Amino acid sequence: MFSVSLPARKFARAFTFAIFLMSAVAMRGQDIGANPVTSQGDAPPEDYTLKAVPVLTGSGAYFTRVNAGQIQDAPSLSPLLLVPIGDNFLIEAKGSLADTYNKNTQGNYAGTVTYGMTYAQADYITKYVTLTAGRFTTPFGIYGERLAPNWIKALQGTPLIVPVTSGASLGGMLRGGIPAGTEKVNFNYAFYFSSNNTNHILATDRSSGGRIGFFLPGPRLEFGASFQQVLQADRPHSAGVHFVWQPNAVPLTLRSEYVRQSGIKGSGYWIESAYLLKQIPLMKKVEVVGRGQQFYAAGKLPAATVKKLGALGLDTNEADFGLNYYFRTDVRASASYGRQFALGRNANLWTIGMTYRFVSPLWPGGGAM
Amino acid sequence: MTPNVKRSWKRGSLVYVALLTMTMFLALSAAARTEDAKKDAAAPVASASHNAQDDTARLEGERRFHSNCGRCHTAPPKFPPRMMSTIIRHMRVRANITDEDRRLILRYMTQ
Repeated sequence: MFSVSLPARKFARAFTFAIFLMSAVAMRGQDIGANPVTSQGDAPPEDYTLKAVPVLTGSGAYFTRVNAGQIQDAPSLSPLLLVPIGDNFLIEAKGSLADTYNKNTQGNYAGTVTYGMTYAQADYITKYVTLTAGRFTTPFGIYGERLAPNWIKALQGTPLIVPVTSGASLGGMLRGGIPAGTEKVNFNYAFYFSSNNTNHILATDRSSGGRIGFFLPGPRLEFGASFQQVLQADRPHSAGVHFVWQPNAVPLTLRSEYVRQSGIKGSGYWIESAYLLKQIPLMKKVEVVGRGQQFYAAGKLPAATVKKLGALGLDTNEADFGLNYYFRTDVRASASYGRQFALGRNANLWTIGMTYRFVSPLWPGGGAM
Repeated sequence: MTPNVKRSWKRGSLVYVALLTMTMFLALSAAARTEDAKKDAAAPVASASHNAQDDTARLEGERRFHSNCGRCHTAPPKFPPRMMSTIIRHMRVRANITDEDRRLILRYMTQ
């Protein structure tokens, strides 16, 4: 432990303040007179680009959960920093912070703070390929990459099969989306490799894998398949399929994922439907959600392994029903009820809370309309 | 240092970092808003002459916005153009949308 004299500390603080304030003033001065639009008006769509600015976005949430009679309160914050550089680079970093309050053995509520780095990646984006390096969400299925943020997910409970595969990776990735030779089909892909990292916040497995998918804009149907090979420990591999369908005629979304692992983590699927009651005058902002899921634990597991796996050690069926009310597009109240059926562990799952998504420019002129 | 002094130093440092972060955020926001106000005041009146090509591009952008973005989340409001450009770039990576979809959606979301 080092000691610092009081005048030196004061000087250091004043100096740091000055640096930050000077940076803010310099940034402001740098932007005066800059034209935010590099191409606009009559330019053809092919040339339509805008000078991007750093953005701070993310979401905050407060949820009360009752899981088999155990009450839990959990405020959380998930900030996401986006820093574009030039026309092709993007730095993305998303963190998470949650304070979970449970009743302790004395009957008092005690909070447990958890924090983490969801991803911190650098992207180089070209027309057909995006190169990504750093820590990123593993491209497997659709839930982890696209549906996990709490302001997006229709039901706050995470599907049972999500922990079956490694959710985060540290390494490199190639990905992209391209028209598959026709306007009627888009093809998308993501292939990655990841190294082993044992840091308690940034833990990842040594693995490789990928995902391919097709999107048909006409019927608004998406389907695809994923694969993951873990290259450490018992070296399990996982395979999965997914689909999303949004019929043109009704404001309904159907989503589903299936995954199967060769190791000790079993297999399962979930299917979810979300219906926005747009056609009912007083219910336009209400979304009704239902989800069914089944999880099958791997067979012939030793009792110690079952205990270690926790929820992944038992066959489980679950049905959830939820309601979301959109006060605005960025503020939502959610409530849900679920019933979980597992051997000797049936439970009611209640959730109620709110989510808020925020977006703010971090550069002078970034908010100009 | 004694444990009490250490605790006080740690607490002081935490408060200091929080204040510093807040100051920086407020300074940047204030600068951004000042600049926005200037630009808004100086902005010329938008031309009312929309040709058929613009309308077609806008409609196509709207269609692609709903089919791509709506698969995962509700429609967000139209953010300021330069922010929208960053957000679309982020979504291009996250949702694997094509380059053409990105251009048309960006055009729709900034007009």
